[in-house]
Formats: sequence, C-alpha cells, structure tokens
Amino acid sequence: MNEMVAVLGLATAILALGLWFLLPRGAAAGRAIGALLAAVALGILASRIPGVGHLPAEIVFYILAGVTLLSALATIAFRKPVYSAIWFGLSLLGTGGLMLFGGAQFLGVATVVVYAGAILVTFLFVLMLAQPEGQAPYDQLSWAPRLAALTGALLVGTLTLVVVSVFENPDVALRPEAPFNAAELDENILSDEHMAHLGAELFSKHLLAVEVAGTLLLAALVGTVAIVAQIRQPEHGGSSHG
Amino acid sequence: MDEQALLQNYLIVGALLFGIGLVGFFSRRNMIVMFLCAEMSLQGVSLSLVGWSRYHNDWGGQMLVIFILTVAACEAAIALAVVLTLFHRSGKLDIAVWQQLREDNQAAFVDRDLVELERRQQVRWPTLTPAGIEPEPDLDQDTHRTHI
Amino acid sequence: MAFDFPVLMVLIPAFPLAGAIVTAMFGKWLKHEAHWPVVVSIVCSAVLSLMLLSHVVHESENSEMAVGWETTIELWNWSGVPDALAAPERAIGLTETGVAIAPPARLPFSVDVTLRADALTAIMLAVVTFVASLVAIYAVGYMHGDRGYWRFFSYIGLFVFSMTMLVSVSNFVLLYVFWEAVGLCSYLLVGFWYEKPAAIAAGKKAFLVNRVGDFGFALGLFLIWITYGTLNYHDSGGIAGVLGQARLSQTAAFATGGTATAICLLLLLGACGKSAQFPLHVWLPDAMEGPTPVSALIHAATMVTAGVYMITRCTPLYMASVDAQYAVAIVGAITCGLGGVIALTQTDLKRVLAYSTISQLGYMFLGLGAATFASITAGMFHLLTHAFFKALLFLSAGSVMHAMGGIIDMRRFSGLRRIMPITHWTFLFGGLALAGVIPFAGFWSKDAILGAVNAKGQEVSLYIPLYWVGMITAFLTAIYTFRGFFLTFYGPTRVPHEAGEHAHESVRWMTIPLMILAFFALTSGAYFEWTGQLHHWLGMTPSLAYSAVPRPDVHGGEGDLIVKTISTAFALAGVGIAAYLYLGDNSAAALLARIFYPLYWLSYGKFFFDQIYNVLFVWPMWLLAQLSSVIDNYLIDGIVNLVGKVPPWVASRLRSLQAGMVQFYALAMVWGVVVLIITLLVWPALARSME
Repeated sequence: MNEMVAVLGLATAILALGLWFLLPRGAAAGRAIGALLAAVALGILASRIPGVGHLPAEIVFYILAGVTLLSALATIAFRKPVYSAIWFGLSLLGTGGLMLFGGAQFLGVATVVVYAGAILVTFLFVLMLAQPEGQAPYDQLSWAPRLAALTGALLVGTLTLVVVSVFENPDVALRPEAPFNAAELDENILSDEHMAHLGAELFSKHLLAVEVAGTLLLAALVGTVAIVAQIRQPEHGGSSHG
Repeated sequence: MDEQALLQNYLIVGALLFGIGLVGFFSRRNMIVMFLCAEMSLQGVSLSLVGWSRYHNDWGGQMLVIFILTVAACEAAIALAVVLTLFHRSGKLDIAVWQQLREDNQAAFVDRDLVELERRQQVRWPTLTPAGIEPEPDLDQDTHRTHI
Repeated sequence: MAFDFPVLMVLIPAFPLAGAIVTAMFGKWLKHEAHWPVVVSIVCSAVLSLMLLSHVVHESENSEMAVGWETTIELWNWSGVPDALAAPERAIGLTETGVAIAPPARLPFSVDVTLRADALTAIMLAVVTFVASLVAIYAVGYMHGDRGYWRFFSYIGLFVFSMTMLVSVSNFVLLYVFWEAVGLCSYLLVGFWYEKPAAIAAGKKAFLVNRVGDFGFALGLFLIWITYGTLNYHDSGGIAGVLGQARLSQTAAFATGGTATAICLLLLLGACGKSAQFPLHVWLPDAMEGPTPVSALIHAATMVTAGVYMITRCTPLYMASVDAQYAVAIVGAITCGLGGVIALTQTDLKRVLAYSTISQLGYMFLGLGAATFASITAGMFHLLTHAFFKALLFLSAGSVMHAMGGIIDMRRFSGLRRIMPITHWTFLFGGLALAGVIPFAGFWSKDAILGAVNAKGQEVSLYIPLYWVGMITAFLTAIYTFRGFFLTFYGPTRVPHEAGEHAHESVRWMTIPLMILAFFALTSGAYFEWTGQLHHWLGMTPSLAYSAVPRPDVHGGEGDLIVKTISTAFALAGVGIAAYLYLGDNSAAALLARIFYPLYWLSYGKFFFDQIYNVLFVWPMWLLAQLSSVIDNYLIDGIVNLVGKVPPWVASRLRSLQAGMVQFYALAMVWGVVVLIITLLVWPALARSME
C-alpha cells in the first residue's frame, strides 16, 4: 500500500509537471517535454493497473485509451482553439471506441454522432464566427497553470489511489448481488440484441425520465432563443427589437 | 476477461479524462475551449458509468449516460448562446474579461503577460507613402474576378 | 338582600377595573366625556361597598365563628407548587370540620386568588371607594381641559381597583402584588405631567424609596412563609392560614422571640415605605408634583394608609413581639413630631399638607404601636376621619391652586376668602378637623389615640414620652394648619399674575365634593365616637377579635378626660398663636424665626433628609454607577468590539479570494472535492492498511 502511495505520488507529480509544460504559457517552449512527461506519467499509471487477462483485448484497450488521453492532452495543450476542437474530436472518437469496447455500442455511436457530429461542429462554427483570425493573445496564455495542473493531477492521483486501494481490499464486496457470471453478461449487455434491450429499458423503466429530458431540451431551446434574441447589434442601431 | 480489472481500467481512464478536462477548464481562457474541456470531463464520467454498467450487468449506467448526453446537448446550446452574447459585449472570447462577480473593493485581475502580448501584436511600424504616379485602375478587375 | 357576598366582593374591584379598561381603550374618542366610565363605576363601587359594610356588620353581629367573623370566596388558584416546603414547627393542619391536627409532612406553595370580607376590609373598602368617588367627581372639574384627561381617569380607575383589591385579598403574596400595583399607579400619577422634570424626578423618587420598604416587606413575607408554611390569611386546603380562625383560636400558635420581631420589623419597613414613615418619608412631599386630586386620593386618604391597614391586619403577629410594638410606636412618634415641625415653615401649601399627612400617619402608627385594642381601633378611627378631612384639605388646596393658575406658594397670594368663599369655608372645616378642635372629626380620633397611648403609658413608661410627643404635635398641628389657612385666605387680597384677571371660585363639579367632605369632616368623628360603632365593628374582625389583644377600658375614665382637656387647650392655643402670628403682619413670626434660628433652619430645610440621603446613598451609588459605566464603556465594550472586529478582519483577508474569476471558483470547488476524497476515502483506506 505504501509503495502504491509512493508510486502514485510520483506519477501525480510527473503528471502535474507535464501538464504545466503542456499548457500554453506565452512564448515559453517545452510542449514536447510536457508531452513526454505526461506520457511517462500515464505509463506509470498503466503499469500499476492489472491487465484484463486477454492480450488482444488488452492491446485494443490500450490503443483506445492512449488515443483518448493523448488527444485530450493535446486539446488542452494547443493554442489555436480550432486545433483544440479537432483534437477533442479525436478524443471523442477514442471515447466512443472505449464505449464500444466496454459493451455500450449504442452509446459509443451516439457519442460520436452527437458530440463530434453536432456539438463539436457547432463549436467550430461559433469559433469561426467569433474568432476567424485563428489564435488570439489570450489563447497563448493560461490562467494559473501551475495551480491548475497541480489540482488536476492531485485529483487524478487521489481518485486513482481510491480505485486501486478499493480493488486491493479483499473485504470490500464490489459486486454484492451475485458472483460474476459471464453467461449472464452475454445475455444482457453483451447480447446481440443490445439495442433492443437498451430501448426496452429506456422506454419502460425510464419513460418518465425520458419525458423530462425531452422537456428539458425544449426548455433549453426556448432559453437559447431568448438569450440570443437579447443581443443587440450596436453598429446596426440596435433596432432589432423594434 | 477479468471483468474486475476491466472496470478498474475504465475507472482510471475516466478519472484521467475527467482530470485533464478539469485542468483545461481551469487554465484555458478561451470560453469555447473551456466548454470543450467541460465536455471532456463529462466524457470521463460517462466512461466510468459505462464501466460500472458492464461490471454490474445493469442498464442503469448506460441510461445515465444517455441522460448525460441529453443534458450536455442542452448545456452546449445554452453555453453557446451565452458565449455569443458575451462575445458581442466584449469582442473577445476571453473569460478573464468577466470579473464582475468580485467584491466591490477588489481590484480587477489584469494579466500583465496578456497586456504585453497584445502590445507586441499591435505594433505598426511607420511606412512611407508610396511614391510615383498613381497606377491606372484595372477596369478588368471591376468587371470580373480571376480567383475566388 | 339584593346581593349576596360573593357578588358584592367581586363587583367592588371589578367596577373600577372595567371603568379603567373602557377609558383606556376608548378614552381617545370619549375626549371630554372620558370621566364618565370611571366616575360612574367608582360611585357604583362605593354604593356596593356601603351595602357590603351593612351586610358584614349584620353577619358579624350574628357570628358563630370562634374569633370574629369573616367570609372568603376563592376565585381561582394563581400558582401552586405541591410539596414545596417541609412543614415548619408553626404549621397547623386542619380536618374537614376545622379541627386543628398535625400538618402534612410537606406543604404546598399556593397562591389562592381569594377575596375576603370582614369588618376591617369592609370599612377600608367603604372609605376608599367613598373618598375615591368624591375625588373622581372633583377631578372632572379640576382636570378639565388637560391633554391627558382620559389617561388620568384610566389611572384613577386602575388605582381604585388596585386599592380595593389590596384590602380585599386574603393572601400575603397578593397583598404584595397589589401593594406594588398601587405603587405603580402612584408612580404613574405623580409623573402624570411627564413633561415636567420635577414630576418625573418625584415619581422616580417615590418608586425608589418604596423599593427599600418593599424589599423589607418581601423579606417579611419569606419569613412568614418559612415560619408558618402558608401565606394565606384564612384557613384553606387543610392548612391553617396565618390569620385564620384555627390559629387565632389557639394559644401559642404564633412564633415568638426573634422570629416574631424579625417578621414584624420587616413588615414595618414595608409599611414605612408605603405610609411615608420616618426614615422613608422623603418621597411623599415630592409626590405633590402630581395633580392635586391624586395628592388627595392616593397620597393622603388611601394609598398611604395601606401600611396602617397592613399592620392592623397583622395585629396578631405584632402581639407576639413587644419589641416590634415599641418600634412601631417610636417610628410613629418620631414621624409625627418630625412632620409637625417641618410643616411649620413650609411655604408651599400642598407641602404643608403633605408633611401634615406624614405627621398624621405617625399618629396612626403611634396608635398601632401602643398595641391595645383601644389604640389600634383609634388608629383606624383616625385613618377614617383623616381620609375625610385630609382629602378635603387637599381638594380645597387644589381648588386654590386651580384658581391661582397653578401657583401654590403661599407667599404669592393672600386674602382669598373674598374670591373663593366656598373653598374658604371648606378649608376652615378641614383645618379645624386637622387641628383637632372640638367637635370636628380630628378631635375625636386624635384624642382616642392619645388617650389610648396615655393609658398604655400607665403600664409601660416608654409610652409616656411618646404620648407627650403626640400631644405637642397636636399643638404644632394647630399652628401650621392655621398658618396656612390665614396666609391663604386672610390678609390683603393678592393674586399671582399667572391666575390672570379672572381668579374665581371653582366650578360646581369641585365645590360639591368639597361640601360633602366638609360635612363628614365635621360629623364623622363625633358620630363614631358617640355611637362607638367603629370600635364595635372592628372588634368583629378576626385579627382584632384575637384574644391576645389587650382590652383595658379607657373610655370615659378620668385619664381620658384629662387628655381631652389638654388636647383641646393645645389645639385652641395653637389656633390662637397662628392667628396672632399670621393674621395681620408677619413681623412676630419673623422675629420668632430669628430667635429660634437653628430650629427654623432645620425645619425649613426639612431636617436635610434629602441631603443626608444624597450623601449616604445617592452619591456612593452614583460613584458606583460611574465606575460601572467606565468599566462598561472601556473594558466590556472594548472586549465586545474586539470580538466584533475579528469577523471583518478575517473577511478582509478572505475577500481577496473573491476575485470574480469563475475559473478560480471551480478550482476551489475541486480542492474541496480533493479534501473530501482524502478524508472520506483515502485516509480510511490508508488507516486500514496500516493495521
């Protein structure tokens, strides 16, 4: 346990340093070092978690996770918001892949479609509308990068420590309801009729929540229109409201 | 497969994604990028929920992710509207412009590095007026374009 | 009988209370008619009191009780603590039929709101309500046009309610409650003209001086409670009351020795405060700042006699302590003489009367202190006649004051008999009664006291000097009374400019009560002396029917005749000297003042009690208050302010965190999350692994 704390502390420190190097800091260079340090930190973390016990699956998982995390790092590292958005798209693809890998086919696809297809494009659209010149001065700077990197790394470190320590503790029953049964999993989440099961679940047990979510979307739509309608265009005399 | 190890992997990847998103949210100043980072944090949460869903062989986690998607869509719509409004007010996407939440007698936060950067980018070296005869206007250019 | 006892006993206090409440609630709308509820209710109350008196006398005559006659009605139980006190030695238990047995092991503390009727209460009720109704009628004229007209009548109603309750209740705690209630009314009415600084100061002084007496009174009550295990007068709930039939019909049922003396002296202290006896008399002259009807009603006729009533009621307690009797008599004699001497030189007519009141109350205390049946009843007799003639004198003085535009300084006016003939005659009647000139009321009652004290003096020589003090004071009384009378009504007609050009006799609202009172000042003494009714009635009160009260026969004896002769001679001499000194020019009086300058100086300065009390009590208190104020302002406030400065200081440090950067807020939130994770999840996990 103490060894685990030490290793995780080291990983946290390296991650914090890497994040700090990665974050935009004006003209200061060092993004490569940052990327290296962050990768080292991720490697240390990866070395501490047990393998899934199936080599091809493991390789696939590590590739997906690597893509996701590295592109996430790139998202926060790049100065030009457009690049950030594109790297975020790649990260989303990785996430979608992980979801597929984790047995959530619908969600993997939906994430890619909704985020990468809709939300991200809207973001890019706004970016081009607002900031067509690429990067602004404030994009080259971070606010309190050291503090932010330290906080983020600390959070990751403690969360990892909790996860690892919980799994190492034999007293904690993580799955109290039943001993693990692969056949059961194949019949339910991993079955061929995944989508049918998901739909049945969503529209039976969670029907009310679906309705509420629909109402929420409607409210958001109305709210968005109301907010944007307040924008006045000073150069046009501000007569849009009559 | 070792389902327990898989869950652990998912949780740690989720935590990392969440943490990286948070760091970006804390330190990046472009409001669009901040929201990208916030979405990234949501992805981290979604990943751990998917991991739990598989581990427990229960749909609850995936249902939650579906609702996270919905709420994220709503949030994105509103956030973009707000960002646009703010952009119209200040002409910038910089979040540091908006500090009105501070206490009355607190001085506003001014980033000296940013001031320096802006000054450097606005430098206009004096140029001489071009000498010689004013060239003939190219009539051809007024009537049609040669490139887009 | 149209009414039976419970109805009468409840209605007598209820009428004034209802009048007071109605006036207080609707007075603003009633405006100049605001007197009607109170006047009508007090008059009703007076009529009912007279009915009650006749009933009580009738019942008493046919009494089958062991000691005197009394009746009580229990209205409700105000407070009850079961098993409050281990039964003391003097507690007496009672069977259903009233036979004395051993008391229960633990006695309850219960305050029964019980009204009683016996001869003493009935007489007090009759006097109080009768004088109060005349004063209330008088006040209609006197207070006319005052801004606080309805307020005044509301207070008067409240006072009459409190006073009637004071004499009606059958429990020492309730006696104390209404004792305070009349004090409150007195305070409110003395300070009635609250814009006047002197009135406020006088009200405050009266209240504070009374606190001293009330403190002693309260201690006396505590002592009674732990000595007798009850605070009821009457027998109730299987326990014999302090003054109940069961106790009075036994011998040796009262505490003796030091306990009895302590109880009596503490009660005497309370009585001194309320009845303005030496050394607590200083508040009464200042209380004359109140409206004159108040002076007449509260500070001459009724409230100040509460102490006399209380001691009379507690006669059986005083019978157990000879020392206490001496104390009462000495206090009475000192007050009597002191008041008479000071009254000689005062220039303010109302103050002369105030000191005269103090002096007359001293007579009553002297009578009570002589502690024979004759002397106590004589004290009550004097209380009754004094209520009439002193109210009459005050109201006459008020009539003068009314006509003189609020001026009451005798140096500013004279010769008013031509302007105010009715007031002149009524004041003369009152003066003759006060001076004790035969056949006016004061003569009979004062001589009854002096005769009884003289008779007591044959047994206990201590009373002989006290008797002579009383006798000389009778002489002084005649001088100062007629000094005031001559200075006011004789000599050249002078009117102060405040009175304007229209100084005139008062309105009929005022003169008719004066004439009624004058009639009683003339006749009441002779009537009760000749018929002997008052003594007869009082003798049927349980407290006075108690067998331990000594009853030597003093009436009609040789000593009595001598007393009457001397006293008449002194009274007439006093009137004559006053006529010689003050009728015509005052040069002889001025000469006397020069000859007896030290005495004059002491008298004019009221024996400097105020100044002595200032040095002895007020200044040390003032210094203490200043010290406390300094400590409070600098030490305590300093600490409090220091504590108060901590939050702003912390806030000023923390404020810089509120920089308005949303990202920082998010960051801080995550710190919180990290701390929570560490304390709730990581730390227990680490601790587990350490084991």
